[in-house]
Amino acid sequence: MIEIKNLCKSFGNKQVLNNINIQFEHGKVYGIVGENGAGKTTLFRCIAGLEDFEGEIHATKTPLKNHLGLLFTDPFFFPKLTGKEYIQLLCNAREIELGDIEARNVFDLPLNQYASTYSTGMKKKLAITAILLQENDYFILDEPFNGVDIQSNIIITEIIHKLKELEKVVLISSHIFSTLSATCDEIHLLKDGQIIRSVEKPEFDVLENEMKEIVMENRIDRLRLK
Amino acid sequence: MLNKLPVIPNTAIFSNQTNNLKSYFSIQIKIAARKFLDFGVHPILGVLLILVGFIAFSEFLFHQISFASYLFAFVSLTFTSALSAQKRNDFLQLCFPEKRYKSVRTIENTLAALPFVIFLVYKQNLLVAVILLFISLLFAWSNFRTNFNFTLPTPFYKKPFEFIVGFRKTILLLIGACFIEFIALSVNNFNLGIFALAVVFLIVLTFYTTPENEIFVWNFIVSPTKFLVSKIKIALIFSVLLSLPFVATLVTFYPEKYLIILATWLIGFMLIITVILAKYAAYPSEMNLPEGIVIALGLSFPPLLLIFAPYFYFKAIQKLKPYLP
Repeated sequence: MIEIKNLCKSFGNKQVLNNINIQFEHGKVYGIVGENGAGKTTLFRCIAGLEDFEGEIHATKTPLKNHLGLLFTDPFFFPKLTGKEYIQLLCNAREIELGDIEARNVFDLPLNQYASTYSTGMKKKLAITAILLQENDYFILDEPFNGVDIQSNIIITEIIHKLKELEKVVLISSHIFSTLSATCDEIHLLKDGQIIRSVEKPEFDVLENEMKEIVMENRIDRLRLK
Repeated sequence: MLNKLPVIPNTAIFSNQTNNLKSYFSIQIKIAARKFLDFGVHPILGVLLILVGFIAFSEFLFHQISFASYLFAFVSLTFTSALSAQKRNDFLQLCFPEKRYKSVRTIENTLAALPFVIFLVYKQNLLVAVILLFISLLFAWSNFRTNFNFTLPTPFYKKPFEFIVGFRKTILLLIGACFIEFIALSVNNFNLGIFALAVVFLIVLTFYTTPENEIFVWNFIVSPTKFLVSKIKIALIFSVLLSLPFVATLVTFYPEKYLIILATWLIGFMLIITVILAKYAAYPSEMNLPEGIVIALGLSFPPLLLIFAPYFYFKAIQKLKPYLP
């Protein structure tokens, strides 16, 4: 479990997270949605311990960061490092003995090629593979479906289901609502650094419609399309 | 004015304005000036320091080595070839019309090669100077685009990343060091052989000069002390692997000078340890002027490294604590 109490975070005068109180339980998948700049990535960075913050973050397995697989929207790759070496690096960091990497290469990536030459989708799949092989208990997946082909989308969705089955805690951020509907048990709407709405599976459609109303207002009318 | 954020003109500006070349190069000067300021040095002082360093290094090279002009040309071409990086040239081709693009590249490569050409002329190596200028211009006018998809194998695959990435990036320089060693043995020049060994260590130092993305430190589950010890251990083992052939051949050919060889080897290792510690002492920022001065002092009087290393160690521990609590 991850428990967040009174989490606040500011950058200078700008308050990015404002009194977040939330609990993430094992065996559940949580979606975090919100517009760009709503504070999703900052929230994830605070959970990972990559930012200073006010408030408390507790986890059943401590230190949390040692059991956390973190996927950024735009993962960083060294030039001249192959996919296999990237996985090796992240697993060495967690002192995980890797067996046959090729056998666990579920996305059929060209692991002997330099990762920096991969396409956007391939890079994301490599980063996901690496954090899965790290044998983490908690997962934060920031935009895991971005730039990924339809086949891999299906695989990632199934992986998330498997993680849930294995009693992991999974947090996902995505701008594609359908992917969240297919994977999440709860979705939290973040706006201006606050969680303004939390819904469970049966209410996802209601939330999607509400979000449409909030986001759209009369924007399309303003285009005066003919 | 220098502290303002860079304003990168869009393609329309580059292709329409008559003074677009001037505009492009003034941006390059601004970027260079900002790099000096980030390093904590006033741009004019920075240029002066580089100039003095360049002249001192060149004089040292020509004084010590009989084949210095070739090595000098090789160093120059390393700089000009960096300007030919594919992504950079793709961007420039998007920004400028074809003729203008070639002008930009010609000016860039000429400027990069000019200090070396002037020094070669000063040293009366006219032929090498002309060949260097010709090859530099050739680099500017040619497009080395390739679909060659080859992954260079390294003996460091089990322990990514510094040596794997560094080895692949500097393979030509390492081959150059081997070549220098070969020349040293063929002309029976012990100093040149020691220089080749020093080049290997200087190359290894470059593997550790840039801080890695924070995620690659954050991922570790060890304490800062264990993290640093493991980084140093790997660096020492792998640098032994890289330098051993040089040391072995020098000891074989000059057994009576084994003490000098071993001392150079030891200083090289001490320098690597200090640079690793200095890197994490500045983390997540890049090493700055204070670290640069301290390392330069250590280079000029190696026993000082024994004082600097512990200083950097304690600083590095503090800097790593937020990532490795």
